[in-house]
Amino acid sequence: MGNISLSDSKLVSLYKNGNEEAFQQLLFRHKARVYTSIYLIVKDEYLAEDLLQETFIKAIRTIRENRYNEEGKFLPWIMRIAHNLAVDHFRKAKRYPTVVMEDGSGVFNTLEFAEDSFESQQIKRDTHARLRDFIRELPEPQKEVLIMRHYMGMSFQEIAEKTEVSINTALGRMRYALINLRKKMKKYNIAYDKNFYP
Amino acid sequence: MIKTFTHDDLIRYLYGDTSKKENKEIEKALICDSELQEIYKELSAVKNQLERSLKEPSAKALTNIIHFSRSYEPEVKH
Repeated sequence: MGNISLSDSKLVSLYKNGNEEAFQQLLFRHKARVYTSIYLIVKDEYLAEDLLQETFIKAIRTIRENRYNEEGKFLPWIMRIAHNLAVDHFRKAKRYPTVVMEDGSGVFNTLEFAEDSFESQQIKRDTHARLRDFIRELPEPQKEVLIMRHYMGMSFQEIAEKTEVSINTALGRMRYALINLRKKMKKYNIAYDKNFYP
Repeated sequence: MIKTFTHDDLIRYLYGDTSKKENKEIEKALICDSELQEIYKELSAVKNQLERSLKEPSAKALTNIIHFSRSYEPEVKH
């Protein structure tokens, strides 16, 4: 397949027929998002890795047994599997969290900055650590929508249904979450690239 | 005439929840409305920062998944 970027839908089709390279592209495309979402719920790296593996194993079985029927919507589908497994873990332990954030231990601390200087790496780590603090400080409804939309890839309609609020409320919470993060980043003079448009 | 858009519309646009028609209208509004454009840039910047902060799983976890996939034989149903 070389360097051509195929859609998720195409990769799933190829993988249905046993193309392992297609599966690896799907895995590498979505691993960080799936893993981060699970980690933000369970707050434990080892458990999050176990659940990540369980998530992809379920996906492998479903696709290879021709039971996958959500063409073109691979990410929301696999994120639902991940979310359900994470929540099930708490149900088994008789705990019922909403989406919760980690408690301060390295959510964003293990990123790889191999091409950067030591100083640059440190600045990035500090920035991500500070951002982690800011997310943790958000009001719970804003954190919940932020995680569901940004990390889990759920649509605002799905979030509204899941959290039993109107779509406007879900949008408003997301807007306030981003605005609050922006204000805090500005207040603490955290550099961020504003030259992205559109 | 340029349609007026709310900040919630910008959030929908930012996260790809708008239709192609809406996209064109919003992009037109962004060119004409500097305040809207500024807000959009700020929101995009935060979104990008969040995107760069994703956490990576270990290589071992990925290897386990790849090995499972390679060795998996779907059941043949008769």
